[in-house]
Amino acid sequence: MLKRMDNQMNDQMTAEEAYRITPDTPVGFELIGVKKKAAIQLMGSRLWGRFNPNHWDPVYADETGLDAPIQTGEMSSAYIAEMCVNYLGAAMFKGARFNCKYVASILANEIIETGGRVTAKEPDGDGYRFTLEVWAKNDAGQLKSIGSVEATVGA
Amino acid sequence: MNKSIATDSLRPMTEVQVRQTREFIESLKEDCQTYWDMVEVGDVLSRDLTITPELVILYADAVEDYTPWYEGWKMNTWRIEGESPFGGAIVPPMMVSHFVLSVQFDHTKPFAIGSVHTMHETELHEPIPVGATVTISAKAVDKYEKRGRRYVRHEVTVTDVNSGLLYMRELRDIMSL
Repeated sequence: MLKRMDNQMNDQMTAEEAYRITPDTPVGFELIGVKKKAAIQLMGSRLWGRFNPNHWDPVYADETGLDAPIQTGEMSSAYIAEMCVNYLGAAMFKGARFNCKYVASILANEIIETGGRVTAKEPDGDGYRFTLEVWAKNDAGQLKSIGSVEATVGA
Repeated sequence: MNKSIATDSLRPMTEVQVRQTREFIESLKEDCQTYWDMVEVGDVLSRDLTITPELVILYADAVEDYTPWYEGWKMNTWRIEGESPFGGAIVPPMMVSHFVLSVQFDHTKPFAIGSVHTMHETELHEPIPVGATVTISAKAVDKYEKRGRRYVRHEVTVTDVNSGLLYMRELRDIMSL
């Protein structure tokens, strides 16, 4: 696993300085993701509509054959995007791409952790166009969401 | 129903809250069609959305994202300009993508049963300033079946109401019963 060298990190650095992808970041670099719990209180927020009880009511979910209420996919996309903003900064908002497939349901109370890896890097103007493989898994390692992100850093 | 599963299985509730919840869920039941049956290829669904600072906070809190660039509202200071690499506060990158789903379902009243968002391919062209009013437009471009499942594909654009600036473009699929 490629990470930033220890001698390039120190306790005086901000998180932004310590973890940001730069033009020097190599292919193979792995991102440290964000970790969240699929909390039923957040899944039931009116932000997500609250018109589909499969997202927040255990009784309704059971009646429709689910093991538990399931998160809306937008939540895991947001988790992956948060990780990408941590590493790509402003580049995640301008000229970026984010593809994501929801390959398994996230159940209430599961612990979800995102991850990512730099898979390609091509010159783009004065900077580099990075391609990242990204994912969200539960704490048993089951993949829940998979995708890719492209962004230009250093242009 | 599995007897070990109850309304308050996952969060504490009093009997009043349980009853309110069951009544609310009962009120949601209505005759409805599938998304597949409600949407035709060529249908364009569109809404304007003003992205207020408070709406951004609601979204960011729901996904527990405390990035300070999104803060155009704070306790005690109320609405503020905020700070980001683009000047003032900006909208989280995937926030408006969520509201695409809202536009899609908003136009298929009553709620289309058994519809699941399965993927998105999103181009983030420009940062959206907090406070902007955007037009979210989703066009159904394909209906297809794959491994026995039915999907409706949409092409989505998000543009600024005033300037016409393209903020975001997206391809997304809804799987339908």
